[in-house]
Order: sequence, then C-alpha cells, then structure tokens
Amino acid sequence: MNQQIVPIHRKESLGEDGMLFVRTDSIFDTMVKIPLLVASMIIVAAVMPIQSSFSSPRVLDLIIYPDGSTHVSTEIDVDPLATDYELDLFGSTIDNFVAVGENGFLLTTDVIGNSALIETFGSSAITVEYDIHDLVSKQGRVWTFSLDAPSDFTLLLPKNSAIVGMTKLPINMEIINDQDQLTLSSGDTEIDYLFSTITNPIIPVDPTPQSDYLMYATIGGVVAAAVTGAIIIRAKQKTVKPIQDQQLTQTIQKNETIDAETIFKLKPDIREDDKEIVKFISDNGGQALESELRKKFLQPRTTMWRAVKRLERTGIIEIQKKDLQNLVKLRKNMEEEE
Amino acid sequence: MKTLALFTIFVLIFGTVSTSLVNDAYAQKDPNILLHIATQADKQILNQLDRAYGDSVPSDIQALYEKGHTAVESLESSLPDDMEQARENFLTAMKSFKQITRMISEPITEARLTTSSDVSDRDLKSELNRLHKYFQSLKTVSDNHNTGIDFSEIKELFAQAREQINSGEIETATETIQQLESLIDTTKNNIREHSSNSASDRIIEFALKQLNKIKDILDKATSVDPDMPELEEANSIIQEIETLISEDNISDVKKKFGELNKIVKMIKKSIR
Repeated sequence: MNQQIVPIHRKESLGEDGMLFVRTDSIFDTMVKIPLLVASMIIVAAVMPIQSSFSSPRVLDLIIYPDGSTHVSTEIDVDPLATDYELDLFGSTIDNFVAVGENGFLLTTDVIGNSALIETFGSSAITVEYDIHDLVSKQGRVWTFSLDAPSDFTLLLPKNSAIVGMTKLPINMEIINDQDQLTLSSGDTEIDYLFSTITNPIIPVDPTPQSDYLMYATIGGVVAAAVTGAIIIRAKQKTVKPIQDQQLTQTIQKNETIDAETIFKLKPDIREDDKEIVKFISDNGGQALESELRKKFLQPRTTMWRAVKRLERTGIIEIQKKDLQNLVKLRKNMEEEE
Repeated sequence: MKTLALFTIFVLIFGTVSTSLVNDAYAQKDPNILLHIATQADKQILNQLDRAYGDSVPSDIQALYEKGHTAVESLESSLPDDMEQARENFLTAMKSFKQITRMISEPITEARLTTSSDVSDRDLKSELNRLHKYFQSLKTVSDNHNTGIDFSEIKELFAQAREQINSGEIETATETIQQLESLIDTTKNNIREHSSNSASDRIIEFALKQLNKIKDILDKATSVDPDMPELEEANSIIQEIETLISEDNISDVKKKFGELNKIVKMIKKSIR
C-alpha cells in the first residue's frame, strides 16, 4: 500500500457536512523518528544522574559555632579518571581546609577565592572539611544564617540558640548535646536565631530569673527571721496575738487557694489593674487560662503576658502549661511582702 | 510497537524529571517539629518584645506578632491531619517572627563576620573548638597511615588553652592558640611528608592507567586523521611523563598530566 504523507498544516478538503478531516496516523512518524527519540531520551536519562552525582555532595553537614563561624563537612563523588576536582566553596573566608581521599590520603589542595582545586588522582570519593565565616551575619542581637545549598544538609545550631525566623520547612530536627540539629532541603535557606534568654523550654521564664529568685530567697529569709524574732518577743511578753495578724506575719501554707483580699493584704503594693486580674482568677476557682484573661480584660497578648509575669514574679501566681496554653493559677503557698 | 515506544518515552521522561521533583518534596519525619520550632520562636519573640518595648509595643509590631501567634495556634490545630495547612501556617508564623526580629534589632550596619582577624569580636572558645576539629581530622589521617607523629604537645596546648579561656586569661589564651595554629600547620606538613611515598605510588598507578587509556584514544584518532597536529604533541608529552615516572618526579608528572589532558580533550572533540 502506498501511503501518502500529508503535511499536517495542509487543510483537508471539507466533507459534505462541512467537517474537517485530518490524517493523524502518520503524524508522529512525520515529525520525529521514534527510535531516534527513544535513543536521545535514554542518553539524557543516563547522563543526568552522572552529572548530578559528580556535582552535588553526597553528605553535607554544617555546624555553627557561637561566634557565627561555620564548620562545613562534605563528602563528594568525583570522577576517578580526572586528575583534579574544582570545588565551589560557600564563601571566600576559609580556614582549616582539609581534603581527604577515599583511602584516607591527605589530598593536595589550592584554595583560591571561592573555589578549591583538589588533586584527586584516581579517588572516586573525597571528604572535605573547612571553616567559613561568610554564612552567618549579625544585626543587633539577631544572627542570620543564609545558604544556597546544593543538596540536602544538616545544620547544628549553637547551644542556647533559639530560632526566631526561617524561610524554609525543615525535614527533620534532632537534639544533639543540647543543640538543635535541623535537616534541610537544598536551595536557598535563611534562618534567624538569637541566643536564648529562656532557659525552660516549656514555661517562659523572665530574662533575669536567677537574680529574682535570689532576691525572693533573701526577702523570705529576712521575713522568716523577723517572724521568728517577733514570736519569741511576743511569747516573752505573753501577749495573745490575734489570729488574723498571725496569718499576715507567717508564711501561709494552706491546701486551698487564698482569697483575693488576703493576697492584697500580703502584697499591698501590687498594681490596681493586677488586682483586677487576681480577683478574676480567684472568682474563677483560683485558675484561668491566659487567653481567658485577655478576653476578659480586652488586653493585647503582650500586655497580658507582662501582667501575668509581674504577678508570677511577686509570687502570687504560678504559670503552668495546658495544651500549649498558659494556665495561670493562684499560688497556694505565699509569702508576705517585706 | 508505537504504544510500547510511547510508553518507553513516558517512563524515561518521568524518570528524568522525577529526580528534580524529589528535591521539592518536604517530608517532615515528625510533623510536631514544626510546632516545636514555631512555639519556641513565639516565646522568644514575646520575650524580645518585652525587653525592647516594655508596656508600649508599637502597633505594627503588635499586629505582626498577633499574625504570627495566630498562625502558631492554627498550626497546632491543623496537626497532624492537615499537613499542607500546617506547613503554610509554619511559614506564615516564621515569616512574621522574622520580620519582627528585623524590626526590633538595633540599627547596626550588617556585616559579615570576619572573627579571625577582628580581635574585639573574637570568641576564643569557638576558635579553639574549630581548631580542635581541624586537628582531629589531621590526626585521623595520621593514624590511618601510622605516621607515628607525636601529638602530646598539641594535646597539652589544647588543655592549657581551655584552662586559660575558662579562667579569663584572654591574652595568654590567644598566644596559646597562635602556638597551636603554627604547630598544627607543621604537623600537617609532617603528615604530608610521611604519606608522600604512598601518595606517589597512588599517583603513579593512576598515571600509568590513564596513559594506557589516552594511548587508546590517540590510536583511534590516528586512524581517523593521522595528520592531526595535536597527535604528535600528545605523544611527546606521554614520553616525557613516562620518563618523569621512571625518575620518580611526581610533581612534574602532575604538571605534565594537566597539559596532556587539555590536548586529549581537543583530540576527542576533533574525532567526534
């Protein structure tokens, strides 16, 4: 059968009912030769993994030190037939560069600017380690790590650092020696972190908690000494102390919650707006969620948080976590203010 | 036949493209990681706002914080079922917090850290830790090749530097670190010297293998175009390399190999 090749752009003559007929069975043969296409695709598919395996690291681990310098450790597959390999570095301020071949040989290297020429001579895999000062910048208290990573990588953040912004979803996170290690995917990544003032991972703590606790302990000690002294003196004078006074001068340890009025007598110096909060918590059975307090007093989150922290500092309330929310509770044990 | 060919093409296209798709796929091993990071960031921001502004947080920052915090709350509620929404919430929260940190940071000119030369910014502990890691890498190489190099002085200096840093003797610690740097550099050279024999053997082995391959390429090129000018040059360098190998002149072997590789590349192009 003599098959006629019809150019696809040529219009077929219209049939009786005005329909357009186009021959489609030989279009593919006309446009391309299938074997040629398949062969090209096979070549492309075969070459791509080779290209990527020689250009991207097999392993990439980064460690950020507290001063912002970063240790880079990477394993790269290289062409065993090549005499050398040019590695693109993540910056130009490089220290302590070491390249080791697959048999543990120290390889000769030449670091120039942003690249390192490594004499591989038959190695099919190399390990490279170096320190770099270009990946982290600092503005005020905020440190920013930025990298356009050629492959997935791990990032170990310094101790006591807390992430406060990031542009990428982490693949994983682990805690290694009290340090956060993130696993991140390739591409542009920017992470803001600062050195944490929060020591407890669950409940936010005041920036200077130790000094405050020390102050309370000192005050408590003085109060206890004063109370003991007063008891001894009064016992000597054989006077009967009214029950209410005794309550005010002694450390109160009750199983049930203290009522608001007693709290105000023990802590006469608390602010009026804080008194309202205490009253509400007391009326609410001695506890309330911070979100409930915000709704009740129509306060912004930060303002309410500060008020709650103030009350916590004065020892009136304690903050507990409940389903990731702050549960504010009146303390059962409270000490009188000096 | 055509169906089979089309199927093959489809598989090949998918196989080729799928490698690039994998990089964009985010598979959190534990979705709670997102919540953990976002919650911690939320607390830090609140703390920072308290420190920076006390009772008077500017309204724009307050609004940003509310946006971030709401996203954290939504993130919590969308986990673990709606991962897509959770990811979106996470990025929204972290973006808001990032903006806040930028706004509340002191307006100090941003500068890349060049701590090694800037003494005022120097963190000796970090510097010492980095140096120690460097030393460990070199020691591993040394141990692998049984160089027998004695590292006791370096170890002693590390211990000394740590003590000096801990007791606040900054100047003495700086001097000790400088001593360490110089000693580690010397050690690196010693390791290189010790392993140079085995390195030479390795390079010679590589060179001989490569020369055989290159000779095959030249034979092929000769059959295609015997008058190619590069052929004579390549053969001449091969002879030089063979002489250098017999003289154990490794550094010149390396140089000559560089020259030869360039010519072989040109020949390969010509016969393609």
